[in-house]
Amino acid sequence: MRMEWWIIISVYVVATGILFFIPKNKIRLSIVAFLFKQLITFLIGLVVVELGLIEYPVRCFASVSRTSFSYEYYAFPVVCAAFNVWYPTNRSLLYRMGYYVGYCSVLTVIEVIIEKHTQLIKYIHWEWYITWISLCISFFIVHVFCLWFFAKERVSYM
Amino acid sequence: MLMEHWIMIAMWLFGFAGFILFIPRKDQRKGILAFLVLQAIIWLCDMITFAFGWQSAPVRLLPKATDMPLTLDYFFYPVLFAIYYVNKKSKGSLWPRFIYFFVWISVLSLFDIVIEKYTDLLEYELLKRNLMWIYFGFLFYVSHFCCNWFFKDKTLFQTERRWGT
Repeated sequence: MRMEWWIIISVYVVATGILFFIPKNKIRLSIVAFLFKQLITFLIGLVVVELGLIEYPVRCFASVSRTSFSYEYYAFPVVCAAFNVWYPTNRSLLYRMGYYVGYCSVLTVIEVIIEKHTQLIKYIHWEWYITWISLCISFFIVHVFCLWFFAKERVSYM
Repeated sequence: MLMEHWIMIAMWLFGFAGFILFIPRKDQRKGILAFLVLQAIIWLCDMITFAFGWQSAPVRLLPKATDMPLTLDYFFYPVLFAIYYVNKKSKGSLWPRFIYFFVWISVLSLFDIVIEKYTDLLEYELLKRNLMWIYFGFLFYVSHFCCNWFFKDKTLFQTERRWGT
């Protein structure tokens, strides 16, 4: 089997592993974060492929979808759920910004390595910093949505 | 412009209008969650049925990126399910609730069949019309079950709601 398929399988395994660490009292929060992230990734992922900015030569459901199903349907939403579950609400602003930067940077580095060495993703008119910025924005949107969803009164959205 | 494109525009417009008109403000969260749950489930199920070639969507949005009917699966059916879920009666005897479910999935399958028959938005290959009814019943039942689970424990939902405030 090609290396790409081993990576896809390990992505599923690792993402499922993350789910087991989510505390029981935050299951609903993680579900909302997961589902709302899907709403964003489905559409943006499709638009990016439609415009020919990124290609995914090796992918699941290759005959019906030219986007990365594994990443957009499962892996990225799981990471987003983890992001919201362990979000350091009570820490300083600097710490919280570091939290954003940490998540976005780790995901971007992994994507760049995968782009360089495998056929899972190919940048056509795309750069690593666009990935980084779009990740940051999408994390922020989902976080704000989760705060709104679970808030009873007005809250600070940062 | 093709008739199909007008229908898609109408679906987006009626979808937004329906979501605003038929989902009361106090049930907004319920509506959005129902929307997201059905979207996740129908996307996965249709991905499988489309991959096996049981259905196809000749005219669609973003045709280069996907073979799936984005308007229907991503937006229109989830909105209809949200309206269904928010307006259902959770109390009372089983029969009225069953009839409510039955009428919804029947009307929805009928809508799907009409779309299939008269437009190029959908084509059934292996999925026949009565199977479509069962398919919608399955999608609605599973989503309904998941949403009920999410909202079942009011106290639990309330404690979790305190998160972040």
